[in-house]
Amino acid sequence: MTPTVREVLQGCTIAIVTPPSADAGPDYAASRFGMVAMMIGLAAQEADRCAAAAIAENADVRALFAAASAYDGALGGRLAKAAAEVDADLTVPALDATNARLRRLVIELHEQVEEAGDAATNRAIVALYVRMAAGRRLALGGG
Amino acid sequence: MSSLAERLGAYLTRTWDEPVAIEALARISGGASRETYRFEAVTAAGRRPLILRRDPPASLIETDRRSEFLALKSFHGRGVAAPEPLILELEGAELERPFFIMARIEGGAASSPFAPDPYAPHAAKLGEDFFGTLGRIAAADPATLPIAELGDAPAPDDCWRRALDYWSGVIDADELHPQPIVRAAVRWLRRHPPPPAQKISVVHGDYRSGNFLHDGSGTMLAVLDWEMAHLGDPLEDLGWAMDPLWRHFETERVAGMVTKAEAIAIWERASGLKVDPAAFAWWELFASVKGQAIWISSAKEYRDGGYAEPILCFSGWYTARRQDEILAERLAELAA
Repeated sequence: MTPTVREVLQGCTIAIVTPPSADAGPDYAASRFGMVAMMIGLAAQEADRCAAAAIAENADVRALFAAASAYDGALGGRLAKAAAEVDADLTVPALDATNARLRRLVIELHEQVEEAGDAATNRAIVALYVRMAAGRRLALGGG
Repeated sequence: MSSLAERLGAYLTRTWDEPVAIEALARISGGASRETYRFEAVTAAGRRPLILRRDPPASLIETDRRSEFLALKSFHGRGVAAPEPLILELEGAELERPFFIMARIEGGAASSPFAPDPYAPHAAKLGEDFFGTLGRIAAADPATLPIAELGDAPAPDDCWRRALDYWSGVIDADELHPQPIVRAAVRWLRRHPPPPAQKISVVHGDYRSGNFLHDGSGTMLAVLDWEMAHLGDPLEDLGWAMDPLWRHFETERVAGMVTKAEAIAIWERASGLKVDPAAFAWWELFASVKGQAIWISSAKEYRDGGYAEPILCFSGWYTARRQDEILAERLAELAA
């Protein structure tokens, strides 16, 4: 996902160690540090949950692929192949890379489903989207 | 190198052809797409409180500072609380990057769109002003306003396509991690085009809670951030203003002010236009697509800019996640 926790924390570090410009008013500096504090709070949430969220989302997508086998031929057998995979490398970069690949295939599948006018599978994909978005939720002001 | 205040003073001295001293120059939080500074310009005639808006090295959205200047010129003094635009400098001159200067509106505050219930107990009164002002912007005839200089008005049946092509192009160009939810929304919008615009209006482009100054008693003092102003379907602004992202986490009141039905009624009275439910449903979904395109761009600019701007991180991360939830819920309603 973008940005990653690593990128967020890199940015927070840069903002903290970079001296404010001579023209920055006190309100601007306070606002900027307030934003950094909020980023750190959100990063704490993300660090706790991002691996679990990626694993859950990847599994959910694979389950959809398994159920959408009617489209496997049109997609060159990639649905069945992806559905049979498991997340062996549980580092966040590896999970993110797998997630990106699965998401690209979801987009292709959804296009096929729309073209076919398949309302039931469309609803299943949109329900997946709702779960995906909820699984990545960040809460302002804490977890 | 001389300070920004010295360079600004030199520019104004040259432009106004009289000695100008710059005092109390200080950067303020004024949107992510521009560097915003408050300052006093002191001349023999007195002291003027002003705002400088300068393009940053990297911006949240690619904006046309001329559009913003012409939009302000179009509405200042015409029944819309638009600050008076004073100087547009596209070449940057002494300040090295394009900028413009406008009058400063004193005594107002802008509320964060993510603050809970920021307008109580004056939310209803403010809602009347907020959606009434938007209606007056929609009612204006762009052909009679300075913004007509921009030209390039879309045909009524092409507003939706032009807007969607632009923002889906932004997604194509800037997407880092694949975004199936917003891409599904883009396809839905293409399959279900809205009816033609009932008129071509000035579209503010970012008219929402958080982008105006209010007096704390239910009155708007200034509509801000006109940098995405363009000509198009007036429902574009209305859909954007009502996007759930700007609701302050409320379910009943749009923009944290009034109910959706009340907002539409206020807007219709002020604009003399009607809100067609089918057309508006299209522009509501489009608003969330446009939002997600902006947040996707933010994430890319955050990375490309070396992670230096916290606001780009917030927009490309927290806001993008919220927008995905809003989009997914809308798609679920449409698929039911």
